[in-house]
Amino acid sequence: MSQSLRTPQVYRRGFRDRLVEGLRYGGGVGQWSWLIHRLTGLGILLFLVIHIVDTFFVVAFPALYDHTVAIYSGIISGLHPTVNGYYWPLRWVFRLGELGLIASVLFHALNGIRIVLFDFWPKAVNHQKTLFNAVQIVFWVIMILVTIRVVSPLFSAPEHVPVLKTASAPAMVPSR
Amino acid sequence: MAKRSGAGRRVKPAGGFELLAWYWMRISGLLLVVLALGHLFITHIIYNVESINYAFVASRWAAPKTGFFWRIWDLSMISLAMFHGFNGLRQVLDEYVINPSRRVVVHTLIWSFMFALLGIGSYAILMFQKDEKYINQWELEHGRVANSSPSTSPASSVLVDSTR
Amino acid sequence: MTTTDSVRNLTLKIKRYDPERDEKPHWEEYEVEVDGHDRVLDVIQKVKWYQDETLGLRRSCAHGVCGSDAMRINGINGLACKVLVKNLQSSLLTVEPILGLPVIKDLIVDMKPFFDHYKSVMPFLINDDPPPTTERLQSPAERARFDDSTKCILCACCTTACPPFWGDQKYVGPAAIVNAHRFIFDSRDRGAAERLDILNDAQGVWRCRTVFNCTSACPRDIKVTQAIQEVKRAMLTGDIGFDPST
Repeated sequence: MSQSLRTPQVYRRGFRDRLVEGLRYGGGVGQWSWLIHRLTGLGILLFLVIHIVDTFFVVAFPALYDHTVAIYSGIISGLHPTVNGYYWPLRWVFRLGELGLIASVLFHALNGIRIVLFDFWPKAVNHQKTLFNAVQIVFWVIMILVTIRVVSPLFSAPEHVPVLKTASAPAMVPSR
Repeated sequence: MAKRSGAGRRVKPAGGFELLAWYWMRISGLLLVVLALGHLFITHIIYNVESINYAFVASRWAAPKTGFFWRIWDLSMISLAMFHGFNGLRQVLDEYVINPSRRVVVHTLIWSFMFALLGIGSYAILMFQKDEKYINQWELEHGRVANSSPSTSPASSVLVDSTR
Repeated sequence: MTTTDSVRNLTLKIKRYDPERDEKPHWEEYEVEVDGHDRVLDVIQKVKWYQDETLGLRRSCAHGVCGSDAMRINGINGLACKVLVKNLQSSLLTVEPILGLPVIKDLIVDMKPFFDHYKSVMPFLINDDPPPTTERLQSPAERARFDDSTKCILCACCTTACPPFWGDQKYVGPAAIVNAHRFIFDSRDRGAAERLDILNDAQGVWRCRTVFNCTSACPRDIKVTQAIQEVKRAMLTGDIGFDPST
């Protein structure tokens, strides 16, 4: 009895542990929609940062802007002649990224409407799974049409005529 | 007990930053559904990202009649999206950054970054002036880009054009 | 055991943590013979009574009333005394402590943060009016307004199923909001403004992301998310359905 009890060492989960343990939780569609909503939101924000910077080129460096957006169609121009050219895999990568962007914005928008319904239409909370199904149906219908529209031009040459005669390629900053 | 039959049925509505932030996310989100999806529809569905270049941007922002409209559209979109997006980022990070002094650092970084981005974005939208000389030079060297017409040239024309 | 519920073997995986020996929790497996009438609590107690008496868990009434045996069963929060083994599809049963609260030993967590949040919303009747000569009367409709939230047994299933709470344990959590709801919408209570003020805090009701994990975890079938949304709307409009001023 003389021996005093040890103070119990309580186990607290660390940051990484909390994240992983949470993903293992068997929540239903509510948890999945919350997770996807959050991830798409962060993804869109990352894209916006890039998009605002490249749009800034329009005012500051018009030629740099044109060379930058040409990369989105797989065309590298205005650099060294050995690098310049049309790279179809690059074009595919950007087109698939474009699809990912549209899908993210579309899901975030549709699920956002679902969340707003919970807040301002009292009965919506009783139909959250139905509403998530509705979000999914609208999402996939639109995405199929969008995919056809976005992918079909890939089977012909880019609308930009690629610039391979780099000898007379314009300088990055044009003389006004 | 007669008090309860009085006309008033209310307590004072709450205010405060968290309530306003919550409300803001709903309002800006609904507006962005129209603005951002509309923007995506125009640039990716009606047109095509491959047809977007300096001349395309100029044809919208510097159009004599509709230019003002597109600039207002883009300006409201960027403002709403920045405040919506970075407030969302703040809310996500607040769940994982618990230490109050670290939160101050994180919030400072988030909002400084946001205002810098909003600054250069708004500058681009408001200060844009069409450079006819540049467009002419570009079209001379690269061929006119038809914005709306679908490409009919086969893939082999890539090399043919390059030798032009 | 009846003829329809045959005896079968079940693998029970328990997340164990001994504060005096372990650095962090680890899984341990036990083979248990179960029949169709067994609840998860029965299976765990078979282990504790016949295989390993060092297993630590909380349980009191064992009939879904006291709310002390909340744990994470096959990934989802629930009361071990209310989940029947025959309703679980797999032959593997995993049991672990509820998420977000510090683990004291095995399945026992420190409930103090949870009860601190509960106390912070003042879960008691506030009414400084002079007491009437009879009871404080209330119509059936007025009673029905908050009936759902009176069912709470404070088992913490909802709060520890809530992703915002996993991230930041300073969030008051669904259970505290449900118990605030129980008094905010009680026509005999006069403390609504004060409680709404507490929940309007940065750690309050606005941290809710309508994930619905709380509603599906509640062993008492309380519509937790709905209660939280009603509190949010009361904050926006100030409308609680009666006049709380004296």
